[in-house]
Amino acid sequence: MSIIYNALSGALAAQAALATTSQNVANVMTPGYTRQGVLLSAVQPMHAGKLSSGSGVSVDALIRFSDEYKSMQMWRAATELGARNAAQPYLTQLEQVMGDDGSGINSGLDAFFSALNAASVDPTSSPLRQQVITAAEALAQRFNSLNQVMSNQRAAVAQQRLATVDQVNSVSAEIAKLNQQIANSRGAGINPSALIDARDRKIDELSGLVDVQVVSQADGTRSISLRGGQPLVLGARAAKMTAVYNPDGSQTLTVDFASESFTLIGNRLGGQLGGLDWYESDVLVPMLDSVSGMAEQLATNVNNQLAAGFAPDGTPGLPLFDFDSTGVTGILKLRPGVVSSELAFSSNAATPGNSDNLMQLIALRTQPVTLPALGAVSLADAATQLVGTLGTQSQQNQSSLDTAETVRNQAEESWKATSGVNTDEEAVNLMQYQQLYQANLKVVAVANALFDSTLAMIG
Amino acid sequence: MRVSSTQYHATMNTALQNANARLETILQKLASGRKYLLPSENPIASIRMSRLSREEATLDQYRENISVLSDRLTRNERYLDGMSADMLGARDLMVWAADGSSTSADVNAMASSLQPLMDSLFYSANIQDAEGRYEFSGSATATRTVTFDAAAPIGSRYTYTGNTDKQLVVVGNGVTQPANVTLDEMAALLNQLDSVRDVLTVPTVNVNDAAVRAVVKATIEGIDVALESVSSKIATLGGAQNILTTLENNHANVSLSNKQAALILGQLDYAEAAVKVNGYTTAVQATQKAYGAVSKLSLFDVL
Repeated sequence: MSIIYNALSGALAAQAALATTSQNVANVMTPGYTRQGVLLSAVQPMHAGKLSSGSGVSVDALIRFSDEYKSMQMWRAATELGARNAAQPYLTQLEQVMGDDGSGINSGLDAFFSALNAASVDPTSSPLRQQVITAAEALAQRFNSLNQVMSNQRAAVAQQRLATVDQVNSVSAEIAKLNQQIANSRGAGINPSALIDARDRKIDELSGLVDVQVVSQADGTRSISLRGGQPLVLGARAAKMTAVYNPDGSQTLTVDFASESFTLIGNRLGGQLGGLDWYESDVLVPMLDSVSGMAEQLATNVNNQLAAGFAPDGTPGLPLFDFDSTGVTGILKLRPGVVSSELAFSSNAATPGNSDNLMQLIALRTQPVTLPALGAVSLADAATQLVGTLGTQSQQNQSSLDTAETVRNQAEESWKATSGVNTDEEAVNLMQYQQLYQANLKVVAVANALFDSTLAMIG
Repeated sequence: MRVSSTQYHATMNTALQNANARLETILQKLASGRKYLLPSENPIASIRMSRLSREEATLDQYRENISVLSDRLTRNERYLDGMSADMLGARDLMVWAADGSSTSADVNAMASSLQPLMDSLFYSANIQDAEGRYEFSGSATATRTVTFDAAAPIGSRYTYTGNTDKQLVVVGNGVTQPANVTLDEMAALLNQLDSVRDVLTVPTVNVNDAAVRAVVKATIEGIDVALESVSSKIATLGGAQNILTTLENNHANVSLSNKQAALILGQLDYAEAAVKVNGYTTAVQATQKAYGAVSKLSLFDVL
């Protein structure tokens, strides 16, 4: 009789294995799917006796082919990639705007000082003076449009941060919910593999948004905290992150968990949130301050020099530029009502053709200005150096991005090497378990024939 | 190493995306002829190119100024040439007047011939440009160069009302060149001519009279001094033109070398780019073929 029972256990084990294989084949293309297998073991003989070989085979459990370490590596790679990816589009846009030789501040300054140089040929000539006014207006426009682009970027960064914070909250909540379901499934003896896959995919998504530390708990759940230790998910409970605007245009992030509230320090967050903070605080704001500082010092220097001179009609010089760092329509404008005949190129009220003050104005081109990002540099070279600084920052971020992409690809490949489905392997399994099933049924047939011959003998 | 089935597809995707990104960049470069599309591709080269552009813009303006200044100097030279001719005419009249055989009537006629020359000199000295600025008044361009006061005693009716300031034009980095000539000697000359005309107009004038001869002699000397002064100004203008030509040549040479440097720094090497395009295309084709072959392999096909 034991032959038939052994054969039956073998056939049932083969069925379980075939079912597992079919699940694997069905999920070849499912992202994040962890392949499963059957854990077979031989059953001890139920009866005493030296000649009892055993009581068949049992399927002890289904195995998940997963490697915790590889998952962790993949998540860490996602964090670095998220940070670099978040900053790069902003860097490239700013580079394109500032690096364009035709429309940048540099060519505006060139045109302005060219107009002043041209005026030295005939300091009282109306067309030449008008040219100075026109070039000054175009220069102011260039400062304003660059300032506008950067202000828009700052608004976009803030918007993206709000959207990212929302995403962090919804993903955290989903992870908490999946944690709960996994714990319940395990309690009820249901295979939680699909739930674990879904949760780990969510953790992967979360780690792209912000740097997280993941700790596995005994009940199959995972606890998640930020790099600074602030909790995001604890078992079935999720924290809530909020971003609040400050008066200076920056944002403060806080995490509320249960009754506790934690304030986050931006540049230590990692992931997309960290990348946005890095771009805003290390690139954008210093650049905004520098461009604004350049406009302010240009306006001050030109206006001061003009005040030292006299217009052709002998009246003391009036300002050319108006600077307002909080201007709604732009930071740099011409003084309203400025006309070319007011330009004070002469150093002497009685001699309109004198160009001494004009020479001083022309010399401002090589005078130093002090900018937050660069220190003291000549006005003519400041914009070039700002573009150079930006180019270097963008170059560094791009090479870090390339590295992060490679690391992430490798981490994914390595994860798939353990957990991914290989159809050829499944085809082999399919053949083997099919044969296992057929062989066991053959054993039943043989046992049956043995019984028949025994019965025939009796009959 | 164990490889999952989707890995081939993932690798293929990554390879194609990378190749496409590279091809896109190189096509943009081919279209624009630029070696670098963004400063981040080579920040140092971008700084150098930007500085070359700045220098080019300045050089262009210096060369423009030189061209305008050269025209202005030529115009001034023509005015001064005309005035020299007038002064020579006046001198001829004076030499003739000094001839002891001239009668009173002859001398009166000479005096009346002197008037148009004086008017011409007065007019030329007060020449204005198209915008009404006095060319020879120094930096007091709104003031007449020589002012005539009919009420003043003869011999001091003409006054130089300009100044002797130079109007400096920027023609190089820290290099300026005067654009104007001042005619402060013209008032003295005109007063001298006015005095002699007054003496020679007297109907009974006798050129052999010691006082008359003295005035005529002083006038000839005065004309000679003024002539020499104007001639030396004409010579200075010529010298200035030479300086401008030299500067212009220097600027042109620097500009040429800047442009060459900018080309080397920023111009795409088309041959190299074409080779790269071929290389990338071949890489894509090879990857595609390999993928096609690998993705056909499946054990299920032979079961």
